[in-house]
Amino acid sequence: MKGLLLKDLYMMKKYCRAYLIIAVVFIAVSFASSENLFFIFYPCLLCGMIPVNLLGYDERSKWVQYSQTMPYTKAQIVSGKYLIGLGTQIVVLLFTGISQAIRMSVNGTFVLSEYLVLLMLLLIMALLASSITLPFMFKLGVEKGRMAYYIMIGIVCAGSIIASNLFSESFRTEISPNGILPVICIMGIGLYALSWYLSIVFYKKREL
Amino acid sequence: MNALEINNLCRSFPDFRLDNISFTLPSGCIMGLIGENGAGKSTTIKLILDMIRKDSGTVTIFGKDNTNINLLKEDIGVVMDEVGIPECLTAKQVAKIMKYTFRNWDNTEYTRLLHRLSIPDNKPFKDFSRGMKMKLGIAIAKSHGAKLLILDEPTSGLDPVVRDEVVEMFYDFTRDEDHSILISSHIVSDLEKLCDYIAFLHQGKLLLCEEKDELLSEYGIIHCTVDQLSDIKKIKYKKETPYGAEIIVSRNDAPEGFKLSPISIEELFVFMVKEAR
Repeated sequence: MKGLLLKDLYMMKKYCRAYLIIAVVFIAVSFASSENLFFIFYPCLLCGMIPVNLLGYDERSKWVQYSQTMPYTKAQIVSGKYLIGLGTQIVVLLFTGISQAIRMSVNGTFVLSEYLVLLMLLLIMALLASSITLPFMFKLGVEKGRMAYYIMIGIVCAGSIIASNLFSESFRTEISPNGILPVICIMGIGLYALSWYLSIVFYKKREL
Repeated sequence: MNALEINNLCRSFPDFRLDNISFTLPSGCIMGLIGENGAGKSTTIKLILDMIRKDSGTVTIFGKDNTNINLLKEDIGVVMDEVGIPECLTAKQVAKIMKYTFRNWDNTEYTRLLHRLSIPDNKPFKDFSRGMKMKLGIAIAKSHGAKLLILDEPTSGLDPVVRDEVVEMFYDFTRDEDHSILISSHIVSDLEKLCDYIAFLHQGKLLLCEEKDELLSEYGIIHCTVDQLSDIKKIKYKKETPYGAEIIVSRNDAPEGFKLSPISIEELFVFMVKEAR
């Protein structure tokens, strides 16, 4: 397992430098501009795609087949990608969280409850991208998996629009973000765990 | 003990079937799996390594069923036709990864092999020639104490000089009498030099599996005219051309009055495949 993680770290160092630079720029911009949430959330979404990209490079170089000739189980190979994803997301979350805490303190707008809501939103964003994408990739391969991912996103977006039209305005205003966010946050972590489990099941069944 | 035993191995795909393959590779020997492209060589190797599921049959490696192959992978070195190392990695980084992958990783041996094969340790894999990529793959396979090398088309696409170096590495590996090699190729001349046993695969079926020397001593080739064909009994395989005929006969059944020449594995393979079509 250590070998798999080390290989992914070497590959990140080579292929994911741009991600790091974009994340740093966005964190810096979000530090200066408090209005645009996009700059705060984007680094988390971006880094959530790192394991997917690493898997793409693995497929292209035929490492996917080669690793099957080594004493690794398919569960270990899948877990390597989820651990790398988790590691990068924690680092980005940490930097974004610290920069936002400093920004809020400097501006005199630091309110602990609001800060915690922000952190929870960041965590959900960070986990969501790879949670949804990776099981498709491990089941179908990166090319077909990407296609399935876009279809899935389309269905989810269409579903959310329909759902938001179905629920009344009064029902929506009754929902308190402070109350519901911890639940969504736990669901986000649960989704990541479920995604991890499903990826292992799918990958075990996949013939390489 | 046998390094590898395959019994009645079958696997069906929509457009291809690997049909009832059985052969045994004794420890200390080299077996060549010869077949055209699409004959089922890679499928056989993937089934041995449990990379794809078999429909029926058994695969035993060092006396153990391959369904628990993870326990055996320390003892198996594999080189596929595409080596499979990520393009950005250098040989030095590969060593660090393999140190955490194989319990018996021997860094001294790996460094020695890199030096001997003139493989640069700081150059990214994407800048390697095909020959260098293959040599690195073999160096890795030989540096973790493997007792069985499984090689899928390791010499295809290599120039004759590099091919010779690679074949030399395999000889070197089998100096230890516990070491065995299963090597697939459609370049028959390489296997003819190297192998103790030869297995012919054609359209998913095993045409034969025999000791190479027995095979060469069993058959001979006769060059004659088409008219002379009627004088020869017990023809194994024949080929008629406008210039004459070539026939393969068992040496025991060789007719008198004809010059019986030694046959090469390549000639035998071509005759057998054409007959099977």
